[in-house]
This record gives sequence, structure tokens and C-alpha cells, in this order.
Amino acid sequence: MKPQDLATKEVNTWCPGCPNFGILQASHQALAELANENEISIKKTVLVAGIGCSSKIYDYVNLNAFYGIHGRVLPACLGIKLGNPELTVVGHAGDGDTYAEGISHFIHNCRYNADFTMVVHNNQVFSLTTGQATPTTEQGFVDGSTPMGVKDAPLNPLALAIEAGATFVARGYALNVPHLKELIKKAVKHKGFSFIDILQPCIIFHKHSVPYLNKNVYEMQGHDAGSRELALRKAREWDYSYDEDKKVPIGVFYETQRPVFDDQWPQLKKPWHKVKRDINWQNAVKEFK
Amino acid sequence: MTINILIGGAAGLGSAVTSHVIGKIFCSLGYYVFNYRDYPSLIRGGNNFNVLKISDKPVYSHELEYDLILALDQKTIDLHQKNLKKGGLVFGDKNFKAKNLYPIPVKDILSELEAPKIIENDILIGCLFKHFGVVLPALLKEVEKEFQNKSEIIKKAVKRGYEAVETKERIKKIGPVRYFISGNEAVGMGSLAAGMDVHIAYPMTPASPVLHFLAKRQLKHNALVFQPENEIAAMNMALGASYAGARVLVGTSGGGFALMTEAFSLAGMAELPLVVYEAQRTGPSTGVATYTGQGDLKFALNAGHGEFPRIVLAPGDAQEAVARIQEAFYLAAKYRTPVIVLGDKHLGESDYSFDDLKKSGISNKRFILDNPPKNYKSYKITQNGVSPAAAPGQGPNVYATSYEHDEYGHTVEDAETVVKMNDKRLKKAKYIKEEVKKLNPVSVYGKGKKLIIGWGSTKGAIIDALPQLKGYRFMQVSYFSPFPAEKVALEIKKSSQAVLVENSATGQLGDLIAEQTGIKIKNKVLKYDARPFTVNSLIKEIKKI
Repeated sequence: MKPQDLATKEVNTWCPGCPNFGILQASHQALAELANENEISIKKTVLVAGIGCSSKIYDYVNLNAFYGIHGRVLPACLGIKLGNPELTVVGHAGDGDTYAEGISHFIHNCRYNADFTMVVHNNQVFSLTTGQATPTTEQGFVDGSTPMGVKDAPLNPLALAIEAGATFVARGYALNVPHLKELIKKAVKHKGFSFIDILQPCIIFHKHSVPYLNKNVYEMQGHDAGSRELALRKAREWDYSYDEDKKVPIGVFYETQRPVFDDQWPQLKKPWHKVKRDINWQNAVKEFK
Repeated sequence: MTINILIGGAAGLGSAVTSHVIGKIFCSLGYYVFNYRDYPSLIRGGNNFNVLKISDKPVYSHELEYDLILALDQKTIDLHQKNLKKGGLVFGDKNFKAKNLYPIPVKDILSELEAPKIIENDILIGCLFKHFGVVLPALLKEVEKEFQNKSEIIKKAVKRGYEAVETKERIKKIGPVRYFISGNEAVGMGSLAAGMDVHIAYPMTPASPVLHFLAKRQLKHNALVFQPENEIAAMNMALGASYAGARVLVGTSGGGFALMTEAFSLAGMAELPLVVYEAQRTGPSTGVATYTGQGDLKFALNAGHGEFPRIVLAPGDAQEAVARIQEAFYLAAKYRTPVIVLGDKHLGESDYSFDDLKKSGISNKRFILDNPPKNYKSYKITQNGVSPAAAPGQGPNVYATSYEHDEYGHTVEDAETVVKMNDKRLKKAKYIKEEVKKLNPVSVYGKGKKLIIGWGSTKGAIIDALPQLKGYRFMQVSYFSPFPAEKVALEIKKSSQAVLVENSATGQLGDLIAEQTGIKIKNKVLKYDARPFTVNSLIKEIKKI
């Protein structure tokens, strides 16, 4: 299988030059390679999208797909796993979708540790609704809804995910496709909840992040991803702000193993639609007699 | 013959369990029993009470005048003594103050047995059945059946209570054992009969008993039950599971369903089968959280933004709940359409008795293609608007989407496709309506010229009142979307008078009938004090018309 086999003929409506194309390319490559390595079955893989620029990816990857509603990618992913544990599920949503509207689901899915992957296209802005601030927008950012500037410090989704119990926490950069491809592959292969925050600078509404990230992003070398303490320290190296140059690490921050959500139910073994059902009614209603 | 018994005490003293055990024992003797449960929204204290109506003929409602009161505390006597019938008795501790107290050394027995306070109610069970002359071994056998491994101390308490009173009447076994089941248990049983795979619910009274019921039986019936972080997650998870090919039940009450409505609209757009059990309670908002009401009919009919077909139906008792839930699963799968089953606290938390407990013969078919073709279209336009369903993993790509889409499921915005796909979805309504005609959407009881119109849990009191309401017959409407307009209009037109009976402040079914048939129902008997109708309250109001 070639990456282009996972492309579609749909007209792509991202802005020309949008770093989302990097995420798309990395996704095509990662999934094709995983299929070639027999790590996944393409026909048993589902892409789940929310609503926003990120989620347009629904139309651009040739896979089973579920285009849900804003903020609710994670419960949809979890539901799909409960509906058919054999499916490989990859969720895509933006920072507004995941960290604003969907923050409760994000925290709980880090706790649940179901075996699927969540990829957040973090451009630190709501782009499809023309540039309002999200929870990861830096302090002082001025937009149509906050003309006096964002007052709150940005949320650090990596630190939150580690604290909440995610077992695979990574950060990618949309403009470093080879590195991102490897991250996606690792995330999908990880048994448990895998989370990648992808820095994906918006070239329309958050332009200043492109030169900043190009200058400061670096691939972590020799980081011990098994250590929660070191992972948290690394996660806090950059706080999503732009007021001064700080190094922005990318790579796997934290990876660990603990029991997976899907294994909690001994009855969750195969797709439900293959289960034959015929209740022994007379027997079942005995308890009411 | 009827006997009305009230069992009351502070929350946590076991009046619900006690009434259930007593009801079950009477059912084992061939009697019919209706058990009404009344409890405030608290965990310890207050006054919980149950009212049992026991009869040699079928009963579907309770009365508020009692032959016997089993008092677990003084408060029960203070609150309910005024409703004790002439010659009625109060069973309670010898130190309680009551007009017709049959003093029992409850506290003494308890300390002799060194038993916890919760055992007091078992002493009263013993008293009650000695009063009715039921032989001890038969009684202990039933107690053992109910409490199983916890039964040793309970049996001792029952025996001591039994020894403390004299026999007044001699109750005999009058028929075969009756089934005794609550509306919520029936919703659970109906779901299992319908081949439910997954139940997802966030706790909310009065729907939570279904969550507990199914959770407890999930391994036995090879189903999966999960309680997520909130209702929004519950509904979106349900749709994910439905997309993956599972038959899914969501349970909630009005407030929880309000949170689910955005995703309910997604079910309409993505054409994902879904069954929602909405157990109504008294609204608006938190309202009277542990009491009943029928104020969500219009909400169910209109929940979710945009236009899409939906099915809304309501069972009238526990037996109907089994069959209607099965119909809900069948219609949801066959038409790829969301279904709301409207219940309420009165239906869900009351126990009903029946000669037989039947499931519907309706098919459990999954309506998922065995081998979807290579060129499979998730939203193929067909003659009846229903696109054959496939599950992801079978081969071809399967799509579900909240955006307007083409037949494959790819996003579109062009005017022509938008119209085409709207027409495709809305076309299903006509075929659903034809199918629903075969499912008795309207039932008529009795023969009078005058017509009582009702739906849902009011059926019980109406059916029980009917023999005393000369000249009236009763039309029960069970489907609201699609609405059986022709049949409803015909019945009203045949009648010299029509009265709407509803547990709401505005009479929502009346508005729906007006909208669908052009007929305005002027006479309304509405009850919105958060309590269900009783036969007497109903007859009094209807006679005023």
C-alpha cells in the first residue's frame, strides 16, 4: 500500500499552504506504513473527526470515517471501540474542539485509557470561525471576540494529559512531516490512550507562530519517556506563549503501560453485529415470578 | 376484594424493599398487586412510603385510603393516619402513638436479635402475614427466595413478628403465581429481548434503575453497560457504538435528554439507529426530582435542531414497556432513525402484576448487510429513503456524518444535493407511518359514547376507573411520531364528548391532536402536583365535566 492509496478525490478546502497538509501527509504515510507492517488493517480502521479546520481531514483520508460534532470526538471514538473492539480508531480535532468544548471528555479519556489515538491539530486559535482565542491561545492575543486581549494563561494540554492519566503523550510539529509520521505510528501502535498535540500554526489568524516555531522547535534526544516527573518537566519547557524565545520540544514526552479500558469487559470480544442473539425468555422472566 | 396497605418510614429503613417483598408474596398466592412508590429526593430521613393495592382482580393503580399501615416510624403515622379507613389498623412499635395501633415490641425484638435497624421492616412483614393467616413455612420460603444469602437474620425477624400478632383473616391461594415487575425492569427486559448490545447512561432519577438492572445482568446476557462522564458523552458514545454496528439503548430523564439533543440531531443526520428511554419526571428544570409528570411530550417531539424523521412512543404499563421497547429497537434499525421511548417516574418505579409476561414477536434483525458491495454507499438513495446499513470493518468504507453529504457520505454544500438528501431522509417518515399502523398505535378500551383520551402511565388509573365511569370508553395513544391522526380523529368524531387526561399543566397531547387533526379537545383533566392519578381523584374530576 502506498500513501497515495489513502488519498481521496474530494476537493481540499484548507487554505493554500496550511500546515494541515503536513498532518494529512504524515497521516497517509503513517497509516500506509502501519498497514504494510501488518500493524493495522486499513479496512478495520476508522477516522473520527470533530468540527473545525482540523476535522475537514474526514474527506481527505480514504478510510471508514465518522464526522461527529464539535467537542465530541473522544466519546465517539470510545463508543466505536465499545461497538467493535477490533477497530483501530484515530480521532482528529482542533484545540478549540478538544480543549474548550470537549475538555471534560479529554480529561476522562486520559483516565479511561481506551485503546485509540487522539490527534489534536493545535493552531492556538479557532480558525474556521475566523480567529477567536482558544484555551491554548497566548495571553494578550487580540481578536474579534477579545479586542482587549486574552487575559488568561494558556492551558498546557501535555501536562494535563500526563496528570490525568494518559499513557502515551506526545507533541508533533505539522511542518516536520517525517518526525510526525513516526509519532503517529508510535501512537497507533501504543496499547492504550495515545495523545498527540500537533503544533499546526495557522497562517491566517495566528501568523506569528510560524517563524517562532520554525526557530524554536527541536526534536527531543535522550529524553526518558518512562519517567512521569521528567515528562512533566519537559511538558512545561514551553508554555504556549510567544513573548520571548523558548525552546519547544517535540517527540514522545511520556509512555507507560496500564490496564486498558477495552479489557474491563470480558464480554467485549468481537463486533456486536456478529453476535447472534436469541433470549430464552421464559427463563429470563423467572425472576419476576 | 381489595386491600390497600401503606408502608412508610424514613429513607433507608427499607419501605421500598418491604413493599416489594409483600407484593411478591401476594403475587405468589395468586393475587394481583400494584405497588406505588413515593420518596423525596434524599438518602436518609424524610418519609418514604409505598402503597400496595392487592386484589383478586387485575389492578393497575393505587388508592390513597388504607386498610393497613405498616409504620417504621412515628412520622409515617402522623402523616398518613388521616387516610386510614374506618376499622383499619396500624402495625408499628408498641411505643408509637396511633389511633388504631396494633402494638408490636419491634424495638425489643430487634435488641434481642442484636439486629440492625433495617431488620425492623422484616418484623412487620411477619406481623402482616400472620394477620392474614398465611402459614409460616410458606412465608419463610418466599423470604428466602427474595433475600437468598442474607436471609438468616431476616427469617428470624419475620418469625418473631409472626409470633407477635393474632390471625384476623385467612388469605388463601386463589390462583397461579402472578408476575410482579416494575416499568423500569420491563424496559430492561424489553431491551434484552430486543437484542440490545450496549446500554450507556449517566445516572438520573427515574431512569437509573434501568442502568442498575442492566449492569447487574450484563454478563449473563452478554451485553455491555457503561456510565460515562456526562450525558453528552453518553449520547455521542451511543452514536459511535451504533455506527460500529451495535444495538444501543440510552437512558435518561428530561434534563439529561436536554443535554443530549445536539447529538440526537446528529443521529437524525447521520441516520444512526438509536433508542432513547426518556423517563419523565416533574419539570421544568430540576423540578420535583423524584416525582412524576408527562411534561416532556412536546420536547421529545421537537428535540434536536433541524428537520429529520424520528419515532416517539410511550408504553402504558410494564407489559407494554417490554413490547414497545422491542418495537423501538426494530424500527430504529430498520429505518436508521432515532427513537424516543417516553416513560415516567410512575410507570418506571411502580410494580405491576400480570398473569403472563410476554415479549413481542417482532424481529430482532440487525438490518446490517452481511457482505456490503465494493461500491457501497452509506447514504444510497432508495425508493423508501432507507439506505442499507453496513458496519465499518466489513470491507468498503462506511461513513457517518453530521455534515450534509452525498450518497457516499462525502461532505457537500451544493443546493441540488442538499435538497436531494433532505428528501431522502424525510421520505422515510411515510414508510414508518405505514409500518406503525400495524403496531396498534391506538388502543380503545370499553364501549361508552364518551371518550377519555390518555397516554403513558395514566393508563393504569384510567383503566381501573373505567367500570365506575358509565358511558365512557378510553383511547390510549401510544405513538406520537408518526402520529396515527386518522384513527385518533375517527374515535373523537364518533364520541359525544372527549376528555383529555394528562399528568401535565397544559395538556400536550391535546395540542398535538389539534395540530395533526384540526380537532380541539376542550375538556381536560390535568394533574400537575407531581403525583400520579388515582381512581378516586380521576373519577371526581371527570364527573365535574
